[in-house]
Amino acid sequence: MRILIVEDEPDLLASLAQALREEGYAVDTADNGDDGLFNAEGTDYDAIILDVMLPGLDGWEMLKRLRKTKKTPVLMLTARDQTRDRVKGLDTGADDYVVKPFDLAEIFARLRALIRRSANKTTNEIEIGDVKIDTAARQVFFKNKIMEITAREYALVEFLALHRGEVVTRTQLYEHLFDENESSLSNLLDVHVSNVRKKLGAEFIVTRRGHGYCIEGKPPTIGGTNYPNPKII
Amino acid sequence: MKIFKSIKWRLQLWYGLILVVVLAGFGFTAFQLERGQVFRGIDDELNRRADILGATLHHPPRREDRPPPDQLPEDQFPPMLQENRAPHAFHLRPEDEILFGSNDPHNFYFKIISLRNQNDEIAKSTNQPPNEPMNETHFPQPENSFSPFPNRFAKPAPRTFAHYHAILKILPSGEMIEVGCSISNELEEIRNDAIMLTLIGGVILLIGLAGGWWFVGRSLKPISEISLAAVKISAGDLSQRINVAEAESELGQLAAVLNSTFARLEAAFAQQQQFTSDAAHELRTPVSVILTQTQTALNREREAADYKQTIEACQRAAQRMRKLIESLLALARLDAGQEILKRLRFDFSKTISDCIELVKPIADERGVKIFTELSPLEIVGDSERLAQVVTNLLTNAIQYNHDEGEVRVKLEPANGLAILIITDTGHGIPPEDLSRVFERFYRADKSRSSGNAGLGLAISKAIVEAHGGMIEAASEEMVGTIFTVRMPF
Repeated sequence: MRILIVEDEPDLLASLAQALREEGYAVDTADNGDDGLFNAEGTDYDAIILDVMLPGLDGWEMLKRLRKTKKTPVLMLTARDQTRDRVKGLDTGADDYVVKPFDLAEIFARLRALIRRSANKTTNEIEIGDVKIDTAARQVFFKNKIMEITAREYALVEFLALHRGEVVTRTQLYEHLFDENESSLSNLLDVHVSNVRKKLGAEFIVTRRGHGYCIEGKPPTIGGTNYPNPKII
Repeated sequence: MKIFKSIKWRLQLWYGLILVVVLAGFGFTAFQLERGQVFRGIDDELNRRADILGATLHHPPRREDRPPPDQLPEDQFPPMLQENRAPHAFHLRPEDEILFGSNDPHNFYFKIISLRNQNDEIAKSTNQPPNEPMNETHFPQPENSFSPFPNRFAKPAPRTFAHYHAILKILPSGEMIEVGCSISNELEEIRNDAIMLTLIGGVILLIGLAGGWWFVGRSLKPISEISLAAVKISAGDLSQRINVAEAESELGQLAAVLNSTFARLEAAFAQQQQFTSDAAHELRTPVSVILTQTQTALNREREAADYKQTIEACQRAAQRMRKLIESLLALARLDAGQEILKRLRFDFSKTISDCIELVKPIADERGVKIFTELSPLEIVGDSERLAQVVTNLLTNAIQYNHDEGEVRVKLEPANGLAILIITDTGHGIPPEDLSRVFERFYRADKSRSSGNAGLGLAISKAIVEAHGGMIEAASEEMVGTIFTVRMPF
């Protein structure tokens, strides 16, 4: 999962980026609206954390311009907690809204929810044969046994699982699993795939020669982990 | 009693009281006039009859004038006439007999007494009133008996008893004539008049009270509107205004004054609210830094260097909060007038030179040159606070300047004022922002990258104004900004 953080307070930006990297996300950063927009338009991020008060383009303006080309989920960060500010943020196209000061745990949870929703999932659990993935705890179970798995390997499993039944290209995987600062050695991905196969079974990830990787099978449509339940409130 | 505290009720009470007094006065006067007229009429009648009786007494009609008694039918013979005394038989002329008798509802009666002869009755009508209480006190005093004018009647004295009214007359010849009549009709008439007057008065009073109530209510209606609006405002709805229908009346003027007061209150509250929310807003970012930094650091075991980094970041955030809190406190004290400013005479140019020394390193860092033109000038005030103002203006002039830019500082006396002009060659301030630069938390660039909360100029303004001075800004974009401070000395 690759995430962009746009925030002008350097200490906040640094610690947010570090915390998210430690959670296994690939993180890019920008400290002003213009750079943020440039990055956001150039890369398919899984989510963007966007501060409202920015030098250059402010958060609202940046979001407005981004929405002309991209549907990337956006989590707005702001010090303004008045309803009209929140309404403005959501109306401009933000998917969620967090008021400063926040807890990291809340940011993580909201990010997971955003990514889950954008993949049309409604729960934190994905079951594929003997493998069960808990996206909240970032853990993988094999035959009901918890597996030791690195953050990068987890990110690979989660990304493929969220795109089950689709062929995911190597480029896509690079784009979503590594940030712009990592030198993407071309065989690094193969190493991760091989490690996952060792842990979760060789047939868990299928290689489509010349295309990419895939976790096969249609996700179950009954039981409702596929599409959001049409809840009537 | 609460009811007597109400202006409406008190007005009504006084109004009603005055109305009652006026109506009663008029009613009583009208009643007295009416009554007097009725009694005057009766007295006239009685006097006329007394005169006739007197005349008859002294000039009895000739016998042939009188119809022979046997020629008269029984019922036509005046029954009321009884001649008690033969020598001076008293006879009324037939045409006068009709004046007395019970065939008239007034039941006129008479009685003639000889005062010289032990009050002997000379004559009386048969229809005497019952229980006639008469005594000496009722007798009119005869006029001077030795009066050279004989036959002048003494002044008649009226008296009223039971349902009768009578007058007494004493003739100079020594007879007393009493003539009276029943006045029950008149009394009833007067009573009816009194009832009528009371009824009319009551109706007028009721109409007056009702009209007064309506009028007082109508006049006081704006007051209830005012109090309604005031209640809503005190409940927190500051946007309430009094509906001013009659702007010209006293209450309308009051309402207008109150409305403008409310408007100012609302503006002050809004400003206060904005200030509080801005202050909270400014504190949010450093708190976020501390929370995020510490939570990240605590997520797992780390190297000592990582912890150091975290602590440094937290320290920066705390410093920023401290600076903000100090600024807020300074502003609050200046607002409340609690900041005790020293009043000492000092050389302003010296203070400015010191400030320039202080900011020199920042200027050098950016290659900004500072030119000075300072006339020695002593002013009275708090040199520390004014140094804060100058430092703030200089820091702004350097920070918002181009690299290798210029800052000019000039101090000169003019018109009894010390005038400090600080000019920079920076980006300038857009005209739409120029009027707002002294507002609290106002920043031309919306981000917080500069680390300033946007309170510096607001504090400077408050300090200068506390000294009785003025501060203003003029700017041209891409040319530079001029801050002018005018201080009395």
